[in-house]
Amino acid sequence: MPANPIALSTIEYHVLLALADGPLHGYALKDAVATESAGTLVLRAGSLYRVIARLMGMGWVVETEPEGGPTPHPGVARRYYALSARGRNALSAEAQRLAQASALARKRLDVARDRP
Amino acid sequence: MIALLKSLVRAFPAPFRARFGAELREDLERDYRRARAQGPVRATTYTLATAFDLVRSGLMEHWHPTWTAIRGLDTLERGMQWRWNEWMRDLRHAGRALRNTVGFTVVAAGTLGLAIGCNAGMFGVIETVLLKPLPYENIDRLVYVAASAPGSDLPPEVGVSPEFYVQYKELSQHIEDISTFNSFTSTLRTPERVERIRMSAPTPTLFNTLGARPILGRLPLPEEEDRVVVISHALWQSWFGSDPAVVGRNYDISGESRTVVGVMAPEFKFPSDGTLLWISNPIRIEDITPGRFGGPLVALMKPGVTPQMLADEFTTLARRLPERFGGTANYARIIEKHRAVVRPLEQQLLGVVAQPLWVLTGALAIVLLIACANVANLFLVRAEARQRDLAVRRAIGAGRGQLVRLQMSEALVVAALAGVFATVIAAVILPVIRQAAPPGIPRIGDVGMNLETVLFTLVAAVVSAMVCGLVPAWRASAPDLTRLRDGGRGSTRRRHWARDAMVAGQTALALVLLIASGLLIRSFAKLSQVDPGYDIADVFTFQIAPERPTLTDGPSFARFDLDFMDRLAKLPGVTSVGLIENIPLDEGTASFRVQAEGRGNAEDGGTLLNRTFTAGDYFPSMGIEVLQGRTFTTDDQLSGSGNALLSRSAAKLLWPDEDPIGKRFKRPEDTTWSTVIGVVADVMQNSFRDTPQALIYYPLVGPTPESWRISSPAYVLKTARAESIAPDVRALVHEVAPEAPMYRIYTLAGLARSSMVQLSFTMLTLGIASALALVLGAVGLYGVLSYIVAERTREIGLRMALGAQADQVRRMVVTQGARVVAAGLLIGIFVALLSTRALGSLLFGVPAVDLVTFLGMSAMMFAVGMLASYLPARRASNVDPTVSLRGE
Repeated sequence: MPANPIALSTIEYHVLLALADGPLHGYALKDAVATESAGTLVLRAGSLYRVIARLMGMGWVVETEPEGGPTPHPGVARRYYALSARGRNALSAEAQRLAQASALARKRLDVARDRP
Repeated sequence: MIALLKSLVRAFPAPFRARFGAELREDLERDYRRARAQGPVRATTYTLATAFDLVRSGLMEHWHPTWTAIRGLDTLERGMQWRWNEWMRDLRHAGRALRNTVGFTVVAAGTLGLAIGCNAGMFGVIETVLLKPLPYENIDRLVYVAASAPGSDLPPEVGVSPEFYVQYKELSQHIEDISTFNSFTSTLRTPERVERIRMSAPTPTLFNTLGARPILGRLPLPEEEDRVVVISHALWQSWFGSDPAVVGRNYDISGESRTVVGVMAPEFKFPSDGTLLWISNPIRIEDITPGRFGGPLVALMKPGVTPQMLADEFTTLARRLPERFGGTANYARIIEKHRAVVRPLEQQLLGVVAQPLWVLTGALAIVLLIACANVANLFLVRAEARQRDLAVRRAIGAGRGQLVRLQMSEALVVAALAGVFATVIAAVILPVIRQAAPPGIPRIGDVGMNLETVLFTLVAAVVSAMVCGLVPAWRASAPDLTRLRDGGRGSTRRRHWARDAMVAGQTALALVLLIASGLLIRSFAKLSQVDPGYDIADVFTFQIAPERPTLTDGPSFARFDLDFMDRLAKLPGVTSVGLIENIPLDEGTASFRVQAEGRGNAEDGGTLLNRTFTAGDYFPSMGIEVLQGRTFTTDDQLSGSGNALLSRSAAKLLWPDEDPIGKRFKRPEDTTWSTVIGVVADVMQNSFRDTPQALIYYPLVGPTPESWRISSPAYVLKTARAESIAPDVRALVHEVAPEAPMYRIYTLAGLARSSMVQLSFTMLTLGIASALALVLGAVGLYGVLSYIVAERTREIGLRMALGAQADQVRRMVVTQGARVVAAGLLIGIFVALLSTRALGSLLFGVPAVDLVTFLGMSAMMFAVGMLASYLPARRASNVDPTVSLRGE
């Protein structure tokens, strides 16, 4: 199990990222991931809940009550998932790492372009 | 579609489903609705992709669970699912543990795999040869029928004479069908090829009796008499390239032109695997001469009839034969004593080969038992070593079942490895067995790796691993919690009865195998020392079947043979050349009755003797001693002098206390007498286990040119080049008789080897099995004693600190081993006393309870046991008291 945030997978990163905006239920979470990754990460139902289960196992995601009012979708009462404090830390550490990595990449790619 | 997707949620393990199942199903439904709104194509691709994802994630969840909470598992189904997950976890755990102790894993899986592989190989043979039903319809109602006449001079069991067939077929109430059959070698000649092949000349009903249909063409009809044949699938493939046009063609078969009317299926091999062709041979009542015993029958009994009932009926029916067919007074006397022999066809075809095969199967099963005991011991030691670990687990709440399961998982992983290894071994040794097996085992050519053998291997692997793992697992699952208290320091004196019993059992079983193979080795030695009456060294033999218009009668064949032998004698390296109609160890001789002049009368039927024909320097070439008188001259060979030679036994039978030279004898129906001109030593005709035959040797030409013609004798060359002269002979044959196929090409030493091959094959296999057993047994003893010594290091150190000498310590350990070995030996001797009789007819000149073998092998086993004890004992005596005491 990746105890170190650096080992976060892209999907896990995006799930945490979507939850950083507030608690979501599974279906909304999936849509959010798809939108925020510009359609590159379309999670199928089976895979989605395994990711949630894993993140819950690590204590980064917790189950929570919906924020007031009825559920935005009809159907059975839904479970909502939220980011824990540790999850938030992991996410920010990963975001920082990604930012550094992308800065490095941009620099090297620019250098490469400048060469004759 | 959505129902399918929802049902795929079941691919996930129960705990996961319990937590996420409802959400998952809800999402699936919503997704599906959305996809369907976008058209049928979208809906289909969505369904396929999602179904794949569900199965993949579900399986992944089994192997790498992300959700393992166990709350809410209330149904049995969920419990099973949960247990499955636990098993998988334990197996992974076991795999890791075994990877960390490669030595243990290799030894355990290797020992089991080797033993199981050998057993699987044997199973492959047994399964194909013995267990698979013979490919005949109604095999349970098919019987073999022969004749016996206890108290007469007929052999104990002979084939019947054709009139028996007629009588049974017409009058029996108990049979649906009956047929004759036989087996002989004769020439098949096609425009491309000439060869002597194995044939049978059954009544045309044979195929119906056995329920066999041709795959091409039809079966022979009775009215076609002996002008038609059906051929085997093997012959059709090898000689005729599977050409369907072969049906309807004529070939020269056994001296006459006959028509091929059908091709049999590949599995039809009757009466033996090598039979390639069947000549239809309807029996005509008007041709029957009663008393020509020799051809067995096969009958199909009506349902509900037993072989015993049929034998009784046949015996009664045969009593009336003389009144219907006539015959001599001697024939009538034989019929009075006649008892029909009826036994299941399966037993007749497989009975002879079954016994040694079962002996070997038993031997290898014993090896497997010993191997299991060894591996169980290894598991036991391993379990002891982790007593502390188990005690901790027990203390913090692990159930006994959980602990057993944890240990059994290791056994299962070992079983899987052993199974794979065993399959490889079986695949390697099966072709070896097929090559090395003695000839005449039905269907041995079909032996090979098949599904049944693989299944057997895997089942055997799992069962043996379970047996090996269960006892230690059970014992270790109730760990002594005091282990935790004394800091894991093993107690110095505990009972080892389980291990001792296993070692004693191994010793006993190994000794049984050693004694059995010792008996076979002694039999083989005795058999090799038998004086067969001839010298097997440096003798080359072959046959040809010349066919040309000038070869018509006895004298023309004799002239050809004498000329041919002259040419053979001129080949480089040839010392002498002779010929014989039936060479010992290859062909049997025919028998008939003769009467000695002036003794008895025609009515008593005469004395039953065997006969053969000889010429040239046969006796010097074979090293057969001429005891009295002389052998044939060229004049005897060509003129039809009526002279004959007798073997010593034949002379004794005809003239028990007179000089036979110059005396005369003849067959009762003959008019001319033969005169004895010499007596030669007896020979073993069929095998070294035989009693010597009473044999008459005739010259090539009978009293008249038409008396007989010897058309395909065996030529016998005494030459130091016996192993290498075949090409020279072949070239000469091609020159002298280009039309003649050359066949039955052997060295006499080779014939002697193959006559003993059944014994030597069994001996060799049993020898390997007992060697394995001996080594495994010794290793087992060594392992146990080493373990006990290691465990008692502290105690030994203490003893030595208190003044015990090294040799006292050694003696203590060796005595402990000796006690166990001695117990094993006693049990082994007892079991061997009861079981060596199973070797039965394989033994020769050695009683099943042979004192020398029993004592010798026991001594050997004891010596090996002592050696295995001595090595740990020496280590014990090297214990340094200061180190061993401080080490704790």
